[in-house]
Amino acid sequence: MTTTTPQPLSFTGKGSEYFKIWIVNLCLSVLTLGIYSAWAKVRRLQYFYRHTQLADACLDYHGDPFVIFKGRVVAFILFGSYSFFIETNPKIGLSLLALIMLAMPWMLVRSFRFQLHNTSYRGLRFSFHGTIGAAFVSFLLMPLLSYLSLGLLWPLARKQITHYLRSSGAYGNCSFAFHGTTGQFYKISLMTFASVLLYLIAVITLGGGLISVSEGMAKGIAVTVAILMFLFGTLFILDIFSVRLQNYIWNNTSLGEIRFVSELSAGKLFLISLSNGLLIFLTLGFYKPYADIRLTSYRIGCLSIQTDADIDSFLAKRESEVAASGEEIAEMFDMDIAF
Amino acid sequence: MRVTANYYDGLNARRYSVELELQNGLLLLHGENIRHELKPEQYKISNRLGSSPRVLLLNNGARCEISDSVAFEQLLAQLNHQPSLVAHLELSWHFVLAIALITLALLTSGYFFGLPLAAEKIAYRISDNTLVLIDKQLIKSIDDELMQPSKLAPARQQAILKRLQMLKLPSNGVKPRQLLFRASPLIGANAFTLPGGTIIVLDELVMLSKNDAEIIAVLAHELGHVTERHALRQILQASVVGVMVGWLVGDISSIIAIAPATLLETRYSRDFERRADNFAAEVLKLNSIPPRRLFDILKRLEQDRSLAISEETQHLTDFFSTHPATSERERILSESYNKGK
Repeated sequence: MTTTTPQPLSFTGKGSEYFKIWIVNLCLSVLTLGIYSAWAKVRRLQYFYRHTQLADACLDYHGDPFVIFKGRVVAFILFGSYSFFIETNPKIGLSLLALIMLAMPWMLVRSFRFQLHNTSYRGLRFSFHGTIGAAFVSFLLMPLLSYLSLGLLWPLARKQITHYLRSSGAYGNCSFAFHGTTGQFYKISLMTFASVLLYLIAVITLGGGLISVSEGMAKGIAVTVAILMFLFGTLFILDIFSVRLQNYIWNNTSLGEIRFVSELSAGKLFLISLSNGLLIFLTLGFYKPYADIRLTSYRIGCLSIQTDADIDSFLAKRESEVAASGEEIAEMFDMDIAF
Repeated sequence: MRVTANYYDGLNARRYSVELELQNGLLLLHGENIRHELKPEQYKISNRLGSSPRVLLLNNGARCEISDSVAFEQLLAQLNHQPSLVAHLELSWHFVLAIALITLALLTSGYFFGLPLAAEKIAYRISDNTLVLIDKQLIKSIDDELMQPSKLAPARQQAILKRLQMLKLPSNGVKPRQLLFRASPLIGANAFTLPGGTIIVLDELVMLSKNDAEIIAVLAHELGHVTERHALRQILQASVVGVMVGWLVGDISSIIAIAPATLLETRYSRDFERRADNFAAEVLKLNSIPPRRLFDILKRLEQDRSLAISEETQHLTDFFSTHPATSERERILSESYNKGK
């Protein structure tokens, strides 16, 4: 029986260094009216991936900027013509939207495949094996049902998406697996819903009371304080929710004998995001690269892996899945679809 | 010159310690059971990217990660490997500072001149059919959500419409596509111009006016928006600003991204309000209506909205609100009215 030793992931990127990369990327993207942004994306991702270290090796990104560029052109034409037609000829606009929605699962699968196939660790590529049919269920059907059920099915839909994304991934010849349960998704969601509700009631009674008793200047202050409390309090609760969900998802993800441990703290993450936002605003955007580094550094630093065996012996068994996948990768295109 | 590196064969995740050196003009990669003599076309060297580990990618899918960048740079010098221009730019703080200044200059000139100019050019190219459709859509959605039918007597509506039709305009002036009357207790006294050139007058504004000349004065201001297609240009400019700010600020938080975007867009709409005021002054002069009529109704509008605005907060409203402060508008209006008199 070997001991379980956690292996932390670490991020070694530096703000001052990334600032240089960021500003050159920005300048060239503006000068080329956005065309360079595909090349900029590759440099940015390579910087972040190569500074993500695990067991003395780094991740790497292999995306071809020209492929990303082509994907962006397609996306630009699609969404551009949609927003043009929705204003001028709603009939064409709406049928275009329906078309985009129907093609969405296919585009998503392509984009996940592109992202994972172009990520490597120790010379082995990651891969994505999710089917378009399952993507259709997870990204169109379930969200639609959750909408029709007034959100009651939302945690189920969220679990479905997570399960699809996690268990379709692989590293070399080893698949990722997700063990989370629908019950836990419901528990986390319901607790958040209840906390938001309780918090709202508290703010309304407390703030409302204060506003009704104060007069003149004090009234204005009371209103402002109530609005700020409402805004930041709700943001904080939503932050707690997303952190709990992310921790839960990672803690129930495995790769062969490897288990992941995520120890994000909502308070720290909230403080980092808040101070980042403020500094970006005060520096007219120039703090952005430092903010990105701070956030990534914290997020990655909270993640570690655990194995019963020695990680090197686990890794030694991992082999490349297919040798000749080069051609297939070359014809894929990337679509930047944000989640 | 020998550089130590970690080697991965691309078939297995096992790590091998190797050394890299130059031998007979070839790059020699050797370690336990590994020996590659590489010609320049058999490998690629990743560009320098800050302090990230340098990567040597072999054509067969194998790779080397090199963390000792100083030694590797010396080896690269022996190989005559040229860094890319971009990597070169990122190297020195002098270049970076120059690039930061160029970027700032590009973004500000784009914001102040480029974008408004482009939006103006595009706005005048949008066809009439499109404009009619845009307004039709907009009227439908605001009728559903914000507006109620006007309660003004048809004769009164006709009288205002007639006065608008009789109004003399400067040579470039454009009459509205249509004048619509609506009521909206939610919005209060106001009038708007839609992107396609439709003017909507709310009952509350007609009630607030003391005479028809005041309504005509407000319409003259709106005609400025119609003539110069301000609403259309505002939409075009705001959407570009929104996309740019979103892209720059990124995924931090959409709520934090809204504030700067709104601030930046506000400047554009203030400019349009000023231009519409100047246009109104011109129209009023052509039709011998004293500019007082516009200030009078503006003052009443302001009182209608907020009872007490102190001197300091008025300064704030000038910065944050879309309309310039009333006292400032009064000064500019009378200046442009009296110009060349």
